[in-house]
Amino acid sequence: MERRSRINIIYDILRVIQERVGGIKKTHIMYRANLSHNQMKLYLAELYKKRFIENTDADKPLIKITKKGQDFFRQYAQVKEFEKTFGL
Amino acid sequence: MKIVFTPDWFLGHDVLIDVFSFVILFLFFLFSIKSYKLNKNKRLLYLGIGFLLIALAELSIILTKFAIFYDTTLTSSIGGLIITYQVVSSVDIIYYLSFFFERLFTLSGLYIIYRLPLKKLSGDFVLVSYFIIIASVMCHNFYYIYHLTALIFLGLITRNYIKVYRKNKSANTQIFILAMSLLAISQVMFVLSKVSYFYVTAQIIQLTSYITLLILIIKITKNGKKKQDKHNL
Repeated sequence: MERRSRINIIYDILRVIQERVGGIKKTHIMYRANLSHNQMKLYLAELYKKRFIENTDADKPLIKITKKGQDFFRQYAQVKEFEKTFGL
Repeated sequence: MKIVFTPDWFLGHDVLIDVFSFVILFLFFLFSIKSYKLNKNKRLLYLGIGFLLIALAELSIILTKFAIFYDTTLTSSIGGLIITYQVVSSVDIIYYLSFFFERLFTLSGLYIIYRLPLKKLSGDFVLVSYFIIIASVMCHNFYYIYHLTALIFLGLITRNYIKVYRKNKSANTQIFILAMSLLAISQVMFVLSKVSYFYVTAQIIQLTSYITLLILIIKITKNGKKKQDKHNL
């Protein structure tokens, strides 16, 4: 099986988060995006830093996608479609 | 020697078709570069360069046709036979160079697009570059050599992308194959373009091909949005 690139992992995480409109738990992201615990921690830290994701409430440990994250997800979905079209 | 086969009644229309083609090719270039910046896939960069080269070729032909159109107007307004001859001679070298670069850029761009789906990008670049230059130079005396070379490249591109389609089953790849096949047909018509009817037909087929490419880029953009909407539901 082909190894996922960093950007593809970010795309998969955002996809998983976006699927749950009300927010998603960290453990669910880990399972659904096929990540180890360490990988998840590193990637989530990066996504928080880039403001692609945020917590729904301070008291609830749920994560949701931001507008910036949605824009990135849409742009990357187009890139994937473009690559697929040209077999790249 | 006649260098442009546009019938008088079609002058201007063909430039519009070239401008439209240039815009579409430039859009593909921008999209490829934007994609490359996002995921650093070098093949996307090469694809962008391929489209940019063909776009530059279109730009070159647009400027040349404008120059021809301007010359014709100048000639008719001055009316003198000797002055006409001098005007034509002075710009002859510009026509030669711009047609040379148009052909060189188009064939190089098509070659890059042809190589991309292949697993190994390395090939006989020096040899192919040599033949592309030879074909571009020889086209000055035998215009059909350029169209035949472009036809061969387009045929190879179509064959390669049919293989890609067999793997990915993407409707977008099918659209790209259709666009390339139409461009290949237009090259056959251009070979016969000494008859003005074929020249006009070739231009119309070329326009249809670029409209198909426009549909493709709209579809790619929409598919990205659709994926987002699907996940938002």
